[in-house]
Amino acid sequence: MDKMISTASGEVIITNDGATILNQMGVLQPAAKMLVELSKSQDTTAGDGTTTVVVIAGALLKQCLLLLSSGIHPTVISDSLHKASVKAVDVLTAMAVPVELSDRESLVKSASTSLNSKVVSQYSTLLAPLAVDAVLSVVDPAKPDLVDLRDIKIVKKLGGTVDDTEMVKGLVFDKKVSHASGGLTRMENAKIAVIQFQISPPKTDIEQSIVVSDYTQMDRILKEERNYILGMIKKIKATGCNVLLIQKSILRDAVTDLSLHYLAKAKILVVKDVERDDIEFITKTLNCLPIANIEHFKEEKMGYADLVEEVSVGEGKIVKITGIRDMGRTATVLVRGSNQLVLDEADRSLHDALCVIRCLVNKQFLIAGGGAPEIELSRQLGAWAKVLHGMEGYCVRSFAEALEVIPYTLAENAGLNPITIVTELRNRHAQGEINAGINVRKGQITNILEENVVQPLLVSTSAITLATECVRMILKIDDIVTVR
Amino acid sequence: MNLDLAKPDPLPSYIYVLSDFLRGQQLFSHLFSSRVSALSFRSTPLRFYLFLVKAELIGWQHIDFGFEWRCTSISHFGMAIERILKDDASEEKGERARMASFVGAMAIADLVKTTLGPKGMDKILQSTGRGQTVTVTNDGATILKSLHIDNPAAKVLVELDISKVQDDEVGDGTTSVVVLAGELLREAEKLVASKIHPMTIIAGFRMAAECAREALLKKVVDNKANEEKFKTDLMKIAKTTLSSKILSQDKEHFAKLAVDAVLRLKGSTNLESIQIIKKPGGSLKDSFLDEGFILDKKIGIGQPKRIENANILVANTAMDTDKVKIYGARVRVDSMAKVADIEAAEKQKMREKVDKILAHGINCFVNRQLIYNFPEELFANAGVLAIEHADFDGIERLALVTGGEIASTFDNPESVKLGHCKLIEEIMIGEDKLIKFSGVEMGQACTVVLRGASHHVLDEAERSLHDALCVLSQTVNDSRVLFGGGWPEMVMAKAVDELARTTPGKRSHAIEAFSRALVAIPTTIADNAGLDSAELVARLRAEHNKEDSNAGIDVISGSVGDMSELGISEAFKVKQAVLLSATEAAEMILRVDEIITCAPRRREDRM
Repeated sequence: MDKMISTASGEVIITNDGATILNQMGVLQPAAKMLVELSKSQDTTAGDGTTTVVVIAGALLKQCLLLLSSGIHPTVISDSLHKASVKAVDVLTAMAVPVELSDRESLVKSASTSLNSKVVSQYSTLLAPLAVDAVLSVVDPAKPDLVDLRDIKIVKKLGGTVDDTEMVKGLVFDKKVSHASGGLTRMENAKIAVIQFQISPPKTDIEQSIVVSDYTQMDRILKEERNYILGMIKKIKATGCNVLLIQKSILRDAVTDLSLHYLAKAKILVVKDVERDDIEFITKTLNCLPIANIEHFKEEKMGYADLVEEVSVGEGKIVKITGIRDMGRTATVLVRGSNQLVLDEADRSLHDALCVIRCLVNKQFLIAGGGAPEIELSRQLGAWAKVLHGMEGYCVRSFAEALEVIPYTLAENAGLNPITIVTELRNRHAQGEINAGINVRKGQITNILEENVVQPLLVSTSAITLATECVRMILKIDDIVTVR
Repeated sequence: MNLDLAKPDPLPSYIYVLSDFLRGQQLFSHLFSSRVSALSFRSTPLRFYLFLVKAELIGWQHIDFGFEWRCTSISHFGMAIERILKDDASEEKGERARMASFVGAMAIADLVKTTLGPKGMDKILQSTGRGQTVTVTNDGATILKSLHIDNPAAKVLVELDISKVQDDEVGDGTTSVVVLAGELLREAEKLVASKIHPMTIIAGFRMAAECAREALLKKVVDNKANEEKFKTDLMKIAKTTLSSKILSQDKEHFAKLAVDAVLRLKGSTNLESIQIIKKPGGSLKDSFLDEGFILDKKIGIGQPKRIENANILVANTAMDTDKVKIYGARVRVDSMAKVADIEAAEKQKMREKVDKILAHGINCFVNRQLIYNFPEELFANAGVLAIEHADFDGIERLALVTGGEIASTFDNPESVKLGHCKLIEEIMIGEDKLIKFSGVEMGQACTVVLRGASHHVLDEAERSLHDALCVLSQTVNDSRVLFGGGWPEMVMAKAVDELARTTPGKRSHAIEAFSRALVAIPTTIADNAGLDSAELVARLRAEHNKEDSNAGIDVISGSVGDMSELGISEAFKVKQAVLLSATEAAEMILRVDEIITCAPRRREDRM
């Protein structure tokens, strides 16, 4: 199910993403706050499984309460949990199937598993391959195990449906081309310059005022202003540049109507108000350098693209730059949605899917989904607990029991009878079908690998280790002190 | 009794009833004072009457002002004592004052007591300030530092000399100090109750502390001469320190890391050159030590990402145009062209500044303030790596480790000291890009990069590592080493016990008490681990009665074990500091016989 959150500022968010829900909740209780932090950590490490990690931590804490009330010392529990989690990671790694980055199909499968639990699940066939392509296009062959998600830019645009979401080979700006004075909206064989200076009447940092003592001077000033701007534009034109991306300026107008007019006459397409933070991404993509002064306007600092055009999308317009020569390793995804709520949720879901792929690039192993790994862990740890001596065995058994919460919750949320499902699942695993899991669509137990429900190993292992770490931290606390 | 003492009338009858009541009890002075101070009297004459009754009962020589008594009540009766203190000021005297300080100090000790030892518990520190941030910690110093404390004696324990000194100088043992001081006061309280004068107790404590120190000195091991052995000693100490912290799971890894870092310092205790960077993500095991210096900043666009044999200029200067700082200064011009000229002149000034900087023959420029687009491009054109907006701490350290100076004027290139390093490059840790300066001038500089699941973990890991680094750097200078796990306390207790037996007079009680307080440390360690402390400590004591025993508490197996085999060691310097500062603090609090609370300063109404 999804949650509707109405924030303090009156905004409404509908989401299924654990990290987002917890983030928005104003949690005060310190231990509860730690769970929120836990979800955030899972978000940064794996990007997905933010709900799983909190659910596991909750179940573990519940079991710990039972252990504590039966008189076991918290440090003993804590140590046993650590042992159990190390063992659990071993078990998971043993279960995992290696995957090659070239095996696009497997990657798509795992991305769609992540997307299936989201609001946008019906679009998973579209979004999953998109996420895979986006990540693969930014992987640097020199450093194959590193993916910087900042190289993937997600542009959200209201209108259309999620179906219209696309990946753009090139750049997308969520803004119009400036054509206040009839400027161009399309440019082929573009020579693009990213400029950080302003094409407007001069303004000094020191305060200045122009004293006009004569009406003839007024004309002269206007003329001078015009000449000044014209001079700049001539210089720009001389280099052969025909597309300008202008950085936003807070000190003065980046462009004025007058300069826009001249630029339009000089047949230069202008995109203004580019944020300073975006400059690095843009220059990386276009393989060009930013220009901070008109004197340094040289040809070698420009980038080249086959086409720069303004496209109408829904109500608004966007600028697309495609066919970039020597394009850097970046990707842009244009997300569409019929309303803001869907759009935001699509963005979050896509982020999760991207993270899943990134996990796979980092650690190239897949594991079954649908509660299969958890129940298998529970079974193997349960068996292991019987070999252990003393309190340890007792604690490990509790750990194993706690893990059953995942298939239980899955079944419950799907409207199935959780007890029947979990017991049957246990039975099937005992018979050696380690990949048997809950098939939510069919409402029964099937081999989940065959159903293409897979997820990266990293998501499962980090969920277990992080949850255990958090529970151990909470266990060791014996006092809450109020401080300054 | 059912006396309605609040009513003023009829006075004589009340006095009669009260005096009867008191006489009938045949009170000792002690009982009397506590009984009376438990009542609250509103009528002033009654209060004074009580004073007289008491004086009569116990004789004027031993007047104990233990019950509620104010100067005002006396002056009411026309006696010659003026009001001494201001309205809001109050004083507490004698027994009560001592009581208050004991209780406060012991409360603090009990608070941190449970964090002691390898199986100690953590505390959540919930801040009441903005953001309501939560800290989870096991570090005594951190807990004490952030407490709200109202009790003066407790403040003494926290602020004046123990924990902060302990933390700054030796870095570790903050919890031990407070626990020991608390136990000493607990014992002292019993002695005071049995009518031993505080001064006698103090004298006893002093003798005991000296004797305990001697006992430790006899047992220290010094492996300075043998480098190999010394290193294993350091490893052991690091592991012992870390085992009570969050890093206990990976203590091997971190102990090695800390020892390597400290050995690089070559005996200096300047921990400034060990930089600790926290980066969320990964697990604690992914933390590593790197030689050189890492700056958490980005390189400007279009500039080289890798420089060999770098000459670094560290600066704190504004890179925008020089502004006229006079209020209201403005330029009057009469044409647009002139405005353009001024702008060009401003640009020119910027360019000149950049040229001046470049004239230093540098290829890396680090500025604390922003470098704007224009100078950034100029630097890029000159092939110079420019880093803007480095934090203050960052540039100071950078200047320190590269051997440069922070410059803010650039007119005399000769007089500016440049920093040097072999290689500057961009590296990736987790998701973030950082700039690494390796092969720096100051060879001992290094950086520890901590990785961990969340900020809580990272902050706690940093505190733990800091403790370990402090202890190690102290040990490098003073290489005397002791065993841990309650062993030193038992050795001291044994020696102090013997001293008590040979000391005549009342002081021996105090010395005995000191030994009991020392034993409280192993008791607490055992208690925190959920072990049977009475049993274990008794066994430990028996072990120590043999000559040259290495017995201590082995928390892992829950029994008495050989500390040399288990490799649990502590620095002598830490133990000595714990012993001496705890004794001093206890002494200080014992000497108190009056607490004066000053009147709060009035806030003037500005309205």
